[in-house]
Amino acid sequence: MQASRARLFKEYKEVQREKVADPDIQLACDDTNIFKWTALIKGPSETPFEGGVFQLVFSVPEQYPLQPPQVRFLTKIFHPNVHFKTGEICLDILKNAWSPAWTLQSVCRAIIALMAHPEPDSPLNCDSGNLLRSGDNRGYQSMARMYTRLAASPKKGNFGNEQAVILLMNLANPGDDGYRCSGLDLEVGI
Amino acid sequence: MCFLFQKSYTVLKEEDILHRQEDDVTRVSTVLSISRVAASILLRHYNWSISKVHDAWFADEDAVRKSVGLLDKQVVQLSNARELTCGICFDTFPCDKIISAACGHPFCNTCWSGYISTTINDGPGCLMLRCPDPSCQASVGQDMINLLAPGGDKDKYSRYLLRSYIEDNRKTKWCPAPGCEYAIDFAAGSGSFDVSCLCSHNFCWNCVEEAHRPVDCGTVTKWILKNSAESENMNWILANSKPCPKCKRPIEKNQGCMHMTCTPPCKFEFCWLCLGAWSDHGERTGGFYACNRYEAAKQEGAYDESERRREMAKNSLERYTHYYERWASNQSSRQKALADLHQMQTVHLEKLSDIHCTPESQLKFITEAWLQIVECRRVLKWTYAYGFYLHEHEQAKRQFFEYLQGEAESGLERLHQCAEKELQQFIAADGPSKEFDEFRTKLAGLTSVTKNYFENLVRALENGLADVDSHGACSKTTSSKNAVVGKGKGSKGKGGKTGGSSKNGDD
Repeated sequence: MQASRARLFKEYKEVQREKVADPDIQLACDDTNIFKWTALIKGPSETPFEGGVFQLVFSVPEQYPLQPPQVRFLTKIFHPNVHFKTGEICLDILKNAWSPAWTLQSVCRAIIALMAHPEPDSPLNCDSGNLLRSGDNRGYQSMARMYTRLAASPKKGNFGNEQAVILLMNLANPGDDGYRCSGLDLEVGI
Repeated sequence: MCFLFQKSYTVLKEEDILHRQEDDVTRVSTVLSISRVAASILLRHYNWSISKVHDAWFADEDAVRKSVGLLDKQVVQLSNARELTCGICFDTFPCDKIISAACGHPFCNTCWSGYISTTINDGPGCLMLRCPDPSCQASVGQDMINLLAPGGDKDKYSRYLLRSYIEDNRKTKWCPAPGCEYAIDFAAGSGSFDVSCLCSHNFCWNCVEEAHRPVDCGTVTKWILKNSAESENMNWILANSKPCPKCKRPIEKNQGCMHMTCTPPCKFEFCWLCLGAWSDHGERTGGFYACNRYEAAKQEGAYDESERRREMAKNSLERYTHYYERWASNQSSRQKALADLHQMQTVHLEKLSDIHCTPESQLKFITEAWLQIVECRRVLKWTYAYGFYLHEHEQAKRQFFEYLQGEAESGLERLHQCAEKELQQFIAADGPSKEFDEFRTKLAGLTSVTKNYFENLVRALENGLADVDSHGACSKTTSSKNAVVGKGKGSKGKGGKTGGSSKNGDD
């Protein structure tokens, strides 16, 4: 308990110093509980998540850093390795490949890397994984981008339902390369 | 007949295992000129196969070093700083409080100890322990474990290492008996899979179920699966004790053999399996012991054959129950016999020796009889699984099988009865009696006859009752009196005695 608290406090101080260093990650500790953290991460460029800001919540166990923290997306995201409803993340370093030398900051970096390089072969979101596995990259990109705009856009409040429907209709319109909209989940976000 | 086949396996005690493991580590360490710790990591990585280690190492040492994590040189440059930052707790420590694996990544004592302890408590994966730095592959060997792990965890690690030596090696397996800590080293390519551990547990090397000759591993698996699938039915059926066929009081079986005697005043003697009067069983009354036969086959002429089969198809559960119950009865009889054997060896033999003024060494025939009973119960048990899977349409085989099984059962009952009941009077006797010598001759004779008979039975079943095809058609009615004894003396004439089933009508 004491060791994990000390370590987290060190990370906290490090975060305060590094804030400028990594503009893609904003880690913040809960005001009252050092075992609860949140992070805002920017969607990596040249991915469908570009332009989005995603919120992560950390729940750090008392055995930290010998045990990994629990992390999930609070922001809805369409990604093969993130559970669509709960935001749970399937990432080896958060499970059996955890090493105590990882930090919350490096976990965020690993998650950003996962966003750019999905692993469709061990999907937590099967619709998303199937799009990629069937080679429908455009379908995957469109869906992911749509949810980025719907849920992770910084100006979320301005984004009305009407526009969302128009966006959806545009997305669902088959392109000349035979785009399919099989995985479209119409009840979400509209 | 002689059974002089070579034992194709060795039973290893813990010290033997450790000894072998040490030897292997030493060999690899000497041949490759690496430390013993490194040799142990290598062997573990290649499932303790020395030849695989050698092959891989001499093919491409660098690749092996890389994949196993045996670094040649440090990846972290040693700084001249007097203080270093631990990569886990981020505190700074003087250099002498910092420890590194071969790679040089610095971590403090406390963090190492926590890291190692966590991994060890996560399971045998700790045998593949690497440096905590995520980018680093350097392996962490037993020397560091011993230096840094808390006491209890060190022992756990050693256990895992020992277990790994047996479990990851294709040629060794643990004895599956509960509480047994011996392992078996089995030489491939020998005929029989039967292994007898020093703890006296007999098991099949191939499927690790208990020894099951004459039934093959596939049948055993099917049977066990079936039992677990049907077990709720069976439990319900078997949990209910059987009522005495005469006075209807519920009876729980607590003796080894199938010959039951109801408590006074009833005192009815009956067979536990079929609940028929015992006087109808055995040759004493000239009757035929046919209790192994499914259905009331004794009611001669009541059903014709096809009707009986229809009935059986309709009652497939009943059919299964029949076999399962007999399988389970023999199983518990065997357990009971084992307990009795133990009781005999620890208590009764000494008593007998005193009463009859005979050295215990001359009472070996009693132990031998009980060992034979235990073995026979095992074989007999599995013949019921065999019978269950014997094809319905192979009528000749089926008849022959049931005949053999019936004979086996009655032979064994006689032996069991003699060793259990008849021995009682000598244990209770006040002094030596000359009947004891007769008893000795009888029991030793029964033991040897039963042994022969069961050996023949096992062989006959193992070759799929091949005799039947040539002899099965000419079903002759032969007297079954003394047949058990006669049969034991040789395997000839088995086919000729196929007429068991029609026998019943004649008696």
